[in-house]
Amino acid sequence: MLRSFVMILVLIVLPLEVFAAVRSVPSTEGALTSAIADATPGDVLLLDPGTHHGPVTLDKSITIDGQGTAAIHGNKTGSVISVTGTDITIRGLEIAGSGSSHETIDSGIQLHRTAARILIEDNRILGNLYGVDIHGAKNATVRGNTILGRLDHRMNSRGNGIYVWNAPGTLVENNDIRFGRDGIFVNTSNRGVFRGNLIRDLRFAVHYMYAHDSEISENISIGNHLGFALMYSNRITVRNNMSLADRDQGLMLNYTNKSDLVGNLVRGTGEKCLFIYNAHRNLIGDNRFEGCGIGIHFTAGSERNAMTGNAFVANQTQVKYVGTRDVEWSFDDRGNFWSDHPAFDLDGNGIADSRFRPNDLMDHILWSQPAAGMLLGSPAVQLIRWSQAHFPATLPGGVVDSFPLMVPNNIPVPDNIATLEAEARANPIWLRERTENVSDTLASH
Amino acid sequence: MSDNTEKTGVTRRGLLTAAAGGAAFAGAAGAARMAMVGGATGAATALSAGSAKAATHSEISLAPGQLDEYYGFWSSGQTGEMRILGIPSMRELMRVPVFNRCSATGWGQTNESLHILTENMLPKTKEFLAANGKKIHDNGDLHHVHMSFTEGKYDGRFLFMNDKANTRVARVRCDVMKADKILEIPNAKAIHGLRPQKWPRTNYVFANGEDETPMVNDGKVLDDPSQYVNFYTAIDADEMKVAWQVMVSGNLDNTDADYDGKYAFSTSYNSEMGMNLAEMTASELDHVVVFNIKEIEKGIAAGDYIELNGVKVIDGRKGKNKNYTRYIPVPNSPHGCNMAPDKKHLCIAGKLSPTVSVIDVTKLDAVFYDGAEPRSAVVAEPELGLGPLHTAFDGKGNALTTLFLDSQVVKWNIEKAVRAYAGEQVDPIIKKVDVHYQPGHNSTSMGETLEADGKWFISMNKFSKDRFLNVGPLKPENEQLFSMEGDDLVLMHDGPTFAEPHDSIIVHRSVVNPLSIWDRQDPMWAKTREQAEADGVDIDDWAETVIRDGNKVRVYMSSSAPTFSLESFTVKEGDEVTIIITNMDDIDDLTHGFTMGDHGVSFEVAPQATASATFVAAKPGVYWYYCQWFCHALHMEMRGRMLVEPRS
Repeated sequence: MLRSFVMILVLIVLPLEVFAAVRSVPSTEGALTSAIADATPGDVLLLDPGTHHGPVTLDKSITIDGQGTAAIHGNKTGSVISVTGTDITIRGLEIAGSGSSHETIDSGIQLHRTAARILIEDNRILGNLYGVDIHGAKNATVRGNTILGRLDHRMNSRGNGIYVWNAPGTLVENNDIRFGRDGIFVNTSNRGVFRGNLIRDLRFAVHYMYAHDSEISENISIGNHLGFALMYSNRITVRNNMSLADRDQGLMLNYTNKSDLVGNLVRGTGEKCLFIYNAHRNLIGDNRFEGCGIGIHFTAGSERNAMTGNAFVANQTQVKYVGTRDVEWSFDDRGNFWSDHPAFDLDGNGIADSRFRPNDLMDHILWSQPAAGMLLGSPAVQLIRWSQAHFPATLPGGVVDSFPLMVPNNIPVPDNIATLEAEARANPIWLRERTENVSDTLASH
Repeated sequence: MSDNTEKTGVTRRGLLTAAAGGAAFAGAAGAARMAMVGGATGAATALSAGSAKAATHSEISLAPGQLDEYYGFWSSGQTGEMRILGIPSMRELMRVPVFNRCSATGWGQTNESLHILTENMLPKTKEFLAANGKKIHDNGDLHHVHMSFTEGKYDGRFLFMNDKANTRVARVRCDVMKADKILEIPNAKAIHGLRPQKWPRTNYVFANGEDETPMVNDGKVLDDPSQYVNFYTAIDADEMKVAWQVMVSGNLDNTDADYDGKYAFSTSYNSEMGMNLAEMTASELDHVVVFNIKEIEKGIAAGDYIELNGVKVIDGRKGKNKNYTRYIPVPNSPHGCNMAPDKKHLCIAGKLSPTVSVIDVTKLDAVFYDGAEPRSAVVAEPELGLGPLHTAFDGKGNALTTLFLDSQVVKWNIEKAVRAYAGEQVDPIIKKVDVHYQPGHNSTSMGETLEADGKWFISMNKFSKDRFLNVGPLKPENEQLFSMEGDDLVLMHDGPTFAEPHDSIIVHRSVVNPLSIWDRQDPMWAKTREQAEADGVDIDDWAETVIRDGNKVRVYMSSSAPTFSLESFTVKEGDEVTIIITNMDDIDDLTHGFTMGDHGVSFEVAPQATASATFVAAKPGVYWYYCQWFCHALHMEMRGRMLVEPRS
């Protein structure tokens, strides 16, 4: 009994923040600002439906929840929500109305260096210069948000969907990002996970440099200038992503080393499915490269990469190899599938009976079909010759696959994604974006 | 396994020796992941690069004996010298030692070169070198070579160049192709970008200090970057003295000047004043600094400066409300800074941004005097490709930008880029060409002058990788010369270079007219001549005189193939001996040399030149000296003896 009494006393004299409360916030002028000022750590602010006035700064450990019906609109200056505290959740809000300064990186939500363990989920972040800026804040999670950027015809006037700088432990997953400059821009930041995002109609889906020991998986890039530009990073895992109907390059590895590039699908890129440049010791396995101008452009003395289990399907030029060395593109008796390899598999082991030299086409035809020698002056052969002359730097022809596969791996594309891909192919945004200047992307939704 | 498999070394053995990769990738590919670590490199094939081979058959290539139409002046980076090439043959014609110690010519050993190397050296540096048992630095990092201008055109008088390693600027005389002035820049650290003023003439050479240090770097302030600053330096190009400096916000990378004589520009990749990679890339925007030359001159005249180490320093940092500088925001980490010969467009390469920001310099007056937003001077920002570093011009309204990451050169039209920025549906990109590998600087024939002729383009590639026979772990760089024919870039030459040309200029041969034989009155040996006159020796005439002056001995000799005027001379152990030699031959290409065996003394004496070197004869005995620049059928006989008598 005495003990119970003491307990009650203790509870009474404890500081207020222990009594974390759920408080509702009306959408009246200034209500949100004062609710934040009055909140104590652990509080949950449930925002009433309607538009609340920003900008606001969050400096203590609270949750702001718009429950899918509340909006916070900034005054077109600075960021709408600035976060300087730790252990904060921002959920279920529409966030709009940032300023337009690149110097201050005006964003829907901006996490400052002092912030840590911030959760941003299920928001609609619309028409801000930048969507979410994680600027030096550790262990942030950005999940399930819809981020629509701007469409200024000057690409550099736009900002990125999610901007990650020097923020180890970032998790960015299942966001839907559209418009703006780059979907996810990562610069000098290690140990991040970027998973399951859908990124459309912008410049680079993922623009990524100086970021080691990270995962980029299950993301889908549709109709962008470039899908995944992965540069200057070591030990990253790039798995099960898709680049569909991107303009220039699907996947690009530039001085990305000791990494796994596995199970990705690149389809219908104008220039290159995959560009491997000065990238070393990578595993490139079980990917499918289909219908691009060039299946793989492999150059700059990229060394000790393993190529196995990939499918090269109906690219105009399957391989553009620029180098003077012989490279074997198979591993452990397992090579890649080449749609232009007229192969037989008499022993039925799934491996073609003849090796394949993807960029030595004419030699190959003459070697396997001596009768073709009689056709040397024929228009078809001339065309092949012309194509090779068109890429003179490929002449050394050092790529050989000694164990070509008979069957390509199939990477299924969900119907809804295939529909978006078809739309992007039929009417790509980059044909229109120079003249359209839709600063208010809300109008288009 | 096939032969090819064995060659590439992807073997089961590789699997066993390697550590496991991080990913749980099933099957053979997972094993392959591991094999990367142990794999050997491939073997080179017999075939060479196709496109270069094809191009050498073009009628443009030079036959042996034919002279090139252009001079190329090349930097050499950490080698510290300037190089002269012939364009289009890409034949290396000469190496001009500047910041380096040259074994062949004696640069850094002759008294004449030591005078040039130490004349404008700061006292602190002299003390530092003495503490290390040296008189001069024996390294330099020479990045940028540019010629003097008169009214926007090369005038063939001088070449100017920087030393990033030891914060110096040098001038080379184009009449003799030797350095005549080397200036250590006070206050600034690591001179990187360097450009001569283009208009009305090169009164100034502008030089960027790249590294941030305390304003007074005497150790009182150390790890407190908030007190660090950078300096922009204007050097009086005629006197080769610092005219003034400007303190700036952020660091300084590359620089250029306009064609009106009003403004100079510098890129800054560290506006953050960060001290590590993350901090230096923190901002979304860095900036271009615009320097207003007339306003700075007015400020100096009005006394609005502080004096630091004898230099008048203007404060042009942000927030000072002065008209000395403006800061134009551009995307993070800009690099190249190139003024187009249309007199209007300045091209700032984005590096980490795939864009080039084009600044219309005619809009800068409004930025300085009418309060216009600094960004209002940006009139185009085309997306060109990944890693744009430097831009060159063809004089026809087009620009050529190197793309480091894409390893390409992109040719684009400036006016179309401006129209696209204004909202018109037009694509400025004309053509992209692959280069091998990863280009840095580029240049076009006469491209940084009003006489840009659009005939030749060079891409200076930072890596050669597998492009040439393997010469060990240290590989050469690779340079590729293209002929510009219409919109095409045709590869004409693909060749290795030793460490490490950064920048180059291509100058029509009509501009450059060097001497073949030195003028006897040349100031290069003026101090030596003074000493000879004091000694009563006529160095313009046959000389065979040994002057003794205490323990100093001056040996005056003439050389005339195949003899030195003295067959021998005698000194005492411990004497300080100066050898002064005049080459009496006045025949083209009849250079002599003087090497004193086992004394580490060796230098060049070109026709009609005088050169000298000083050493202590610390070893008694007989030592032969000889001519080391082949001069005559009896070149081997051109030698003599130094007899060193023991002291006791």
